[in-house]
Amino acid sequence: MAEPVPGISAIPDESNARYFHVVVAGPEGSPFEGGVFKLELFLPEEYPMSAPKVRFMTKIYHPNIDKLGRICLDILKDKWSPALQIRTVLLSIQALLSAPNPDDPLANDVAEQWKINEGEAIKTAREWTRLYAMSG
Amino acid sequence: MGNCLKAVSSSNDDISLLREATSIPRESSSSSEQLGPPPSYQETVNQPSSLPVYYPSPNVSRPASQLTEEEQIKIAQRMGLIQHLPTGEFDGSKKNKECAICMGDFTIGDPIRFLPCMHIYHTECIDDWLMRSFTCPSCMEPVDAALLSSYQTD
Repeated sequence: MAEPVPGISAIPDESNARYFHVVVAGPEGSPFEGGVFKLELFLPEEYPMSAPKVRFMTKIYHPNIDKLGRICLDILKDKWSPALQIRTVLLSIQALLSAPNPDDPLANDVAEQWKINEGEAIKTAREWTRLYAMSG
Repeated sequence: MGNCLKAVSSSNDDISLLREATSIPRESSSSSEQLGPPPSYQETVNQPSSLPVYYPSPNVSRPASQLTEEEQIKIAQRMGLIQHLPTGEFDGSKKNKECAICMGDFTIGDPIRFLPCMHIYHTECIDDWLMRSFTCPSCMEPVDAALLSSYQTD
């Protein structure tokens, strides 16, 4: 990436230039603040005609991210555009951490909890961030 | 959206988009030499991998033989509509200096295509995308809506 984005890094794998090791810092003011989240990003053969495959490797309590780390984000699915770049994709993921959307869930149980008792859900998200995303 | 719970299948990525379908068999059978019936339709069962692959939507790829009727119509419409979008050569006069799809700079003489929203791309780059989605990659405007309502290309 030409201009680095604060809180995001993407480093290509040594043996596979299509595979990126990504680190996203939990955004300030979100329950993920202070956490460091690892993701993997893979550019398929068809890229940029089809979206990169992105997955959280660090466990995270978020209504749009399931326990396998898969992300529900429109631009990774039906709203993909070939004008989008790795940079814009990762910015969108960072924005998703700031603005969870329980009405379009991927992890149903988490989304349910988020809707029933948002305060409790945010507490759990903070707890998970401390447990899984702060180990260093 | 509600599309996230469905598994997205993305297999065989590496087959070119617009390869011609297999041609009609030419050889006439020995029994009917000249005025025989036209050669019968042959299904190419043996080479499924040589069939062209189409993209009803960007993340869905299917060999031509497996498209639903609705998808076939969609693809055919796209092919027709693409022909109505003006093309030209990059002459350096446009503000846009870079193709947002391949991220390469335009050079003088590059074949380019103009979308109704006035965004331009390398013809090769945008045609590949338009066969998957009839939207402008930069502004996400549906290209066909603009084409059908106001036919402005200038």
